[in-house]
Amino acid sequence: MINNQAGINEKHSERIHHGLDILPSLKYGIPGGLGNKRWTGELLLATYLQASTGQPPSNGLEYRIGDSGGGFDVLSWRKPGDMPRLATEEVDLGIPLNNRAVGAKLSIPFPFYGGGMSFGSISLNFMIARARAAEKLGTYMSTGEGGYPEQLVPYKDHIITQVATGMFGVREETMQYAPILEFKYAQGAKPGLGGHLLADKVTSEVARMRESSMFTSLYSPFPFHSVYSVEDHKKHVDWIKTVNPRALVSVKVSTPTDVDMVAIGSYYAGANIIHIDGGYGGTGAAPEIAKKNIAMPIEYAIPKVHRYLVSEGVRDEIVLMASGGIRTADDIAKAIALGADGCVVATAEAVAVGCTHCGNCERGRGCQVGITRG
Amino acid sequence: MVSGTGVEGPAYERFHIEAKSADHVYNVPNKFDVHAKRLRLAAMLIHETIRYRFNRDIVLSRPCIYGVFSGRLGGFKPIKQRCVGCMRCVQEYPHIMQVNYGKKYRELGDLHWTPESVFTILYESSTGKIPVKGMGYKGSFSGEGWDGIWTDMSEIVRPTRDGVFGREYISTSADIGSKPFFLDFSSSDDVTGKKIRLLQSSLPIMLQPPESSKLDIGIAVKQSASKLGIYHMSRSPLNAYEEDPWYVPIVDKANLGKLNLDRAPMIEVDLFTSNRGLIGELRQRYPSKLISVRLKIDEAAEDEACRLFNDGADVIHLCADYHGFDYSKTHSHISHGLRRVHTRLVNEGIRDRITLIASGGITRAEHVPKAIICGADLVGLDTTLLIALQSEFKGETRDRTDCRLASRKIEVAWGAQRLINLMASWHDQLIEILSAMGMRDVRRLRGDVGRSMTDEELREQAFEGIDKLS
Ligand code: SF4
Ligand code: SF4
Repeated sequence: MINNQAGINEKHSERIHHGLDILPSLKYGIPGGLGNKRWTGELLLATYLQASTGQPPSNGLEYRIGDSGGGFDVLSWRKPGDMPRLATEEVDLGIPLNNRAVGAKLSIPFPFYGGGMSFGSISLNFMIARARAAEKLGTYMSTGEGGYPEQLVPYKDHIITQVATGMFGVREETMQYAPILEFKYAQGAKPGLGGHLLADKVTSEVARMRESSMFTSLYSPFPFHSVYSVEDHKKHVDWIKTVNPRALVSVKVSTPTDVDMVAIGSYYAGANIIHIDGGYGGTGAAPEIAKKNIAMPIEYAIPKVHRYLVSEGVRDEIVLMASGGIRTADDIAKAIALGADGCVVATAEAVAVGCTHCGNCERGRGCQVGITRG
Repeated sequence: MVSGTGVEGPAYERFHIEAKSADHVYNVPNKFDVHAKRLRLAAMLIHETIRYRFNRDIVLSRPCIYGVFSGRLGGFKPIKQRCVGCMRCVQEYPHIMQVNYGKKYRELGDLHWTPESVFTILYESSTGKIPVKGMGYKGSFSGEGWDGIWTDMSEIVRPTRDGVFGREYISTSADIGSKPFFLDFSSSDDVTGKKIRLLQSSLPIMLQPPESSKLDIGIAVKQSASKLGIYHMSRSPLNAYEEDPWYVPIVDKANLGKLNLDRAPMIEVDLFTSNRGLIGELRQRYPSKLISVRLKIDEAAEDEACRLFNDGADVIHLCADYHGFDYSKTHSHISHGLRRVHTRLVNEGIRDRITLIASGGITRAEHVPKAIICGADLVGLDTTLLIALQSEFKGETRDRTDCRLASRKIEVAWGAQRLINLMASWHDQLIEILSAMGMRDVRRLRGDVGRSMTDEELREQAFEGIDKLS
């Protein structure tokens, strides 16, 4: 029986891998039911191909933009005119993650790192895959708010520990592991709303990690019940810096009308990174009404925050990271052109391992390719 | 007595809408159409049988975790209605499997009603739940009208998380009617001048089934409205409505004599088919009754609204067509006209003395808070009710006088529950929007455009200095 199960798993893994390799060749066309306006079928296939080969497609597959009719999808690059083309080795993609005079001088070799996806909402395999990739690439990935499985410890120098409103699995040692600690105030896909991990996803492992009871729904409240002002926020940052003085502090917020004020408040509270998460970002599960309607898309939030930090004379001291709908390398470049230092990506990583952006993650059967948990 | 408190009075009861499952009774098309190329499927089975050495379990293990191929004939006769479009079968067997959006699904709706919005209403009315999905937003970046508006959220300074599961109460009730700025009292403390005349609705929503709706739909609307504590309106002279405290008759010259208006909590005068003279006539006959006036939104709507206030209207019901576009030469979205009328009434200093209802094209839960932000106190639902009750599209339903949604025969109790479910879902979604802003009362949202962002404004600001491609 066990052998059969192993054989079955092997068969399907092999088939999926084969599919991810063959589909982008367009031998069978673009499947009609694949994709949507933001992640079009073409973009999904192009991402599979890039994940398989490390190269952009050469068969005409659109790999830079989706079909949403706005934001990054309608921004295009101005022709460089007479500017000479630089040799690849002359281009430095690295960015520092701490622009303040004090604190660890961390940097990443290209302008993005992996966003928070929590244990419980994603599978352990996917989590470890992300951690390994982060280590290999010399970048970081965030735990999300579901705790810090011990299997991640070997990669701890590349793992950002997220401290979110539910405080699930936030312990002194997991805070001390981290080179970067990330306060999650809000999430772009459900801004102003807390999280809700469905009861059937709270298995014994998840319950242990989150220090809760099995098969009981878990709510992350909104907002931090201890933070109602910038002063409270500063106390939070001070607390973190006491627990782990060597860590950089990132503050993840959503994109309300006053996102610029929130950013400056975070700067004065001592954050090294202000991470703004736009409304069209990913999630394990969220009300559709929240994803589409609350808070502004990241394309509009970046220039607003950037310009405000410039006008306040602090732009060079804080790193501005953008997320929430960053799908492609082109999106990253556009986000930087609009004023970000770099981006935080998550959904694209899921697509790289076979996600179809089908949105069935919360159906209780688990993800058909094992990315999110059932 | 409120138990244990020693305080007289009814125990506190939090407003709650009881949703109960009310499944579709008419077939709903499958969203996805899954199809296997049979010859290739047979060849694959032979190939896998040899490759996996006749190990039945491995050979017959199928890629679909939703059981689409779990029938006796597997992929040769897929159980299509189970397909959720996860695409794993296509990933595994791209040479065999095809999954497309179903033809009948794609044909659902009309120019305004997309298949996705029809499905959303069907889901909400059958379950009463908020639609929740995994992964991020999948649609267009923005769009005309409501789709070009985002609502605000508050990062930290707000009450503790309320939302649907919250501990703190968020009020969704709306007042309908008129308020004087101040009250005049006689020496014996009686109010002598204009009195406050207000009705209260538990949701900022009124139900107004299109005129072509059949009798059973009318009764389902009536039953759901009284259960929900909200008002419904129609011009139907149904006897069943006579004792109904939630029924607002729509009157014009043609049906005036056929309706018994004595018990109506409010009367709506239809200016589409009558002239303003009728308002005075009714005011004379019913001096203390609330009078609402149904007004089309066009270039003259602001002026007309001010005149109606002076004529004694308590409520103005601003109407666009069923697609949410107004009757001006430019056929603008209702949000623009609504904002114009609201702003004009504010500037005239009379906004708080009158109620604005907006209707036409309110087809998704998010349209309610957005219409309120644009200046409405309440919204009216029309074609949405018919979609919830599984009416059939027979063409474009834009023109208010030509509803091409054919109502089907329904059980009244089923219909009422579907509408209650729809309102339960929309109530919870309204709460999600309000709680994200840290707002405890939907009435505070009225006209508060500062709690919203429009695509036009944000684009101007954010992309300033970027050349536009011609
Ligand atoms: S269920 Fe669908 S959207 Fe969710 S992770 Fe899996 S493939 Fe991606
Ligand atoms: S698309 Fe997914 S749900 Fe549909 S038949 Fe294929 S595997 Fe099953």
